[in-house]
Amino acid sequence: MTREPRTLSRRAFLGTAAAGVGAAVALDRAPALAQAKELSFLTVASFVPDTDKELKRQFEEWGAKNKVKVRLDIIAHLQLQTKKAAEVQSRSGHDLTALGPGLGDADLYFDYLADLNDVAGDVAPKNGGWLNSDDYLIRGKWKLLPWWQPPFPMAVRTDLLEKIGEKAPDTWEDVLRIGKKGKALGNPFGTAIGHSGDANVTLLSILWSYGGSYVAKDGKTITINSKETRAAMEFVKRLYTEAMDPEVVAWDDASNNRCLNAGKCIAIHNPISAYESAKKDKVVVPGTQTEIASVIDHVHTPKGPVDRKATTGFWCVGVWNFSKNIDLAKDFLRYHFQPENQNKWVEAGHGFNMPFLTSLTKHTVYKSDKQYRFIPEVAKVTVPPSWPGPTTAASQQVWDLYIIPDMFAQYATGKMTLDQAIAWGEKEMQEIYAGRRRKQ
Amino acid sequence: MSRRGRAWRSVFTLYLPVAPFVFFALFPLYFMVVTSLKTNAELYDPTTVPFLIKRGVTFGHYQLLSNDTLFWSWFINSLLVSVGATVISVILGILAAYPLARLKFFGGDSFGVAIFITYLVPPSLLFLPLTTVVNRLGLSDSLWSLIVTYPTFLVPFCTWLLMGYFRTVPREIEECAMLDGCNRVQTLVRILLPVAVPGVICAALFAFTLSWNEFLYALVFVSPAELKTMTVGVFSELIRGDIYYWGGLMAGACIGSLPIVIAYVFFLDYYVSGLTAGAVK
Repeated sequence: MTREPRTLSRRAFLGTAAAGVGAAVALDRAPALAQAKELSFLTVASFVPDTDKELKRQFEEWGAKNKVKVRLDIIAHLQLQTKKAAEVQSRSGHDLTALGPGLGDADLYFDYLADLNDVAGDVAPKNGGWLNSDDYLIRGKWKLLPWWQPPFPMAVRTDLLEKIGEKAPDTWEDVLRIGKKGKALGNPFGTAIGHSGDANVTLLSILWSYGGSYVAKDGKTITINSKETRAAMEFVKRLYTEAMDPEVVAWDDASNNRCLNAGKCIAIHNPISAYESAKKDKVVVPGTQTEIASVIDHVHTPKGPVDRKATTGFWCVGVWNFSKNIDLAKDFLRYHFQPENQNKWVEAGHGFNMPFLTSLTKHTVYKSDKQYRFIPEVAKVTVPPSWPGPTTAASQQVWDLYIIPDMFAQYATGKMTLDQAIAWGEKEMQEIYAGRRRKQ
Repeated sequence: MSRRGRAWRSVFTLYLPVAPFVFFALFPLYFMVVTSLKTNAELYDPTTVPFLIKRGVTFGHYQLLSNDTLFWSWFINSLLVSVGATVISVILGILAAYPLARLKFFGGDSFGVAIFITYLVPPSLLFLPLTTVVNRLGLSDSLWSLIVTYPTFLVPFCTWLLMGYFRTVPREIEECAMLDGCNRVQTLVRILLPVAVPGVICAALFAFTLSWNEFLYALVFVSPAELKTMTVGVFSELIRGDIYYWGGLMAGACIGSLPIVIAYVFFLDYYVSGLTAGAVK
């Protein structure tokens, strides 16, 4: 005799199982009422681990003083975009968050960030004022505090310069000449021309140095189609074909560091991270016992025929307006931005993390090693990536989509003519800016 | 043919033809191991052969993982999450696959296809709405958030695979059991499942592998360092700005491969028969 399946008992089983899982989940955490006040901070891993340790120390010290439980979560910078998007989507997560690279997050997440006008006002006078405060205001408000930047000097191999009878480069034309001679010896110049932050930085620096820009001061007019852009692109084509290896179009942010530390590149345009890791790992010049770090020097970011300008990753910090602890978060920011805490934090970072505060650009750490001597100088000529236009969600998108590197690469590699590449870049930028205007 | 002749024959008909595929499959693993045992100075040196260790073996990268990171906590977390999600998913998969494979009811076929389509929805689309769900359930920043969400992509896969396997088991065996007095649940547990062990193990292996390798949900739903899984923890700690700790990353990848390798070594036969079930009827 066959029996009908007992559907009821199966459902009862499933119900019991579901209830069991629910109970287990519920028992895993304490009731909300019993939980102490907690402030959480999401940040990105610094290349100098001591920086994170110092931040954690300050955070815990502040937490102990204020009887607040604190939690510092550190992720790789490449993970930050995903994490931010998820937190905004669910309107929950951390109270404080790192933002960037770039100030554009303030515009992208304008409706989700708490106003920090009061904190910015409190912090500035104690630290000699903000470097360029107008740059950091988004739609007239402080939606984030610019936190730190890694300025981009030019790292050069002094032994190779000596070998080819050259001095450290001061202009982009010098870089081209040195790169050509270096390439002939198997030591080319190296800068990414692909989808990487370094490519954005270096190519924008060259564009400005030749007098070009991609958006006007009004933040609306696309200005990329100009004779200055043409001059910059012609220069980069020569740099690519005569002074670099073709692999640079596939480089990521770490590639130029590797190239310098492997003893291959004669020069790279990069923060001091490559030098610091070469020093730590005691990497030697191939075929010798000479440490690479001892034959690296850092000089000013090069100037072009018109200007000397650079940009970098503008790392910022903000407070989500869906946080339940906005006042506590602001209080911690005031604490962290106190001069003594900033001093210790910059010291821990060996100067890699330069704050956007005037007095800290004169920190003693920049005199502690001759390699750091030009960092404050580079910071003085460092502008936001949208310069001379304001930082907007559209400018952030131009950065995030690597429009500038793609435009330069398409001409440099011969995929497009000069006019085609500029027309392509112009169209992309116009669509991005028009799209953002429609959303507002 | 003599024994020696057979051996030579198998060299040419079996081992040599297979060798390129074995090389292709094992090369990444070999490169990982070699890189994890090289000094940083050698890793950076372009004049050395990247596939060989010339300047001595170092265990420094493994020490870095063990001493300077929470690697072993991440390893345990990955294990807990993968085992938990796999057990839940296989049980649910069995319960879903059985009626879809055996019972005839309105919409059964469409339901089966719908489950398959669910499997095709990429996690990169699902993580944003799932974040809201996880937060509302109060599960964020706990391993439960992963144990509960991983089945969203594991259950459809297990169900689909087990449906195919269950269909290869002769229906008559179950009918005999029912004649002897078993109900549906008893038939499933006492008759079908013992016969379908290869299929279940295959589903479990796949589910475990997918959970073990998962990155996106683990990144988004869990933030505290001590609760991270291995995939996220290693990435977070060993990529610092434009400095990649290649030796440490490869050491993490080597250790991370071990549970999967061990699982497949033990259950390879089941795995193959589970996958190929239904190929020949």
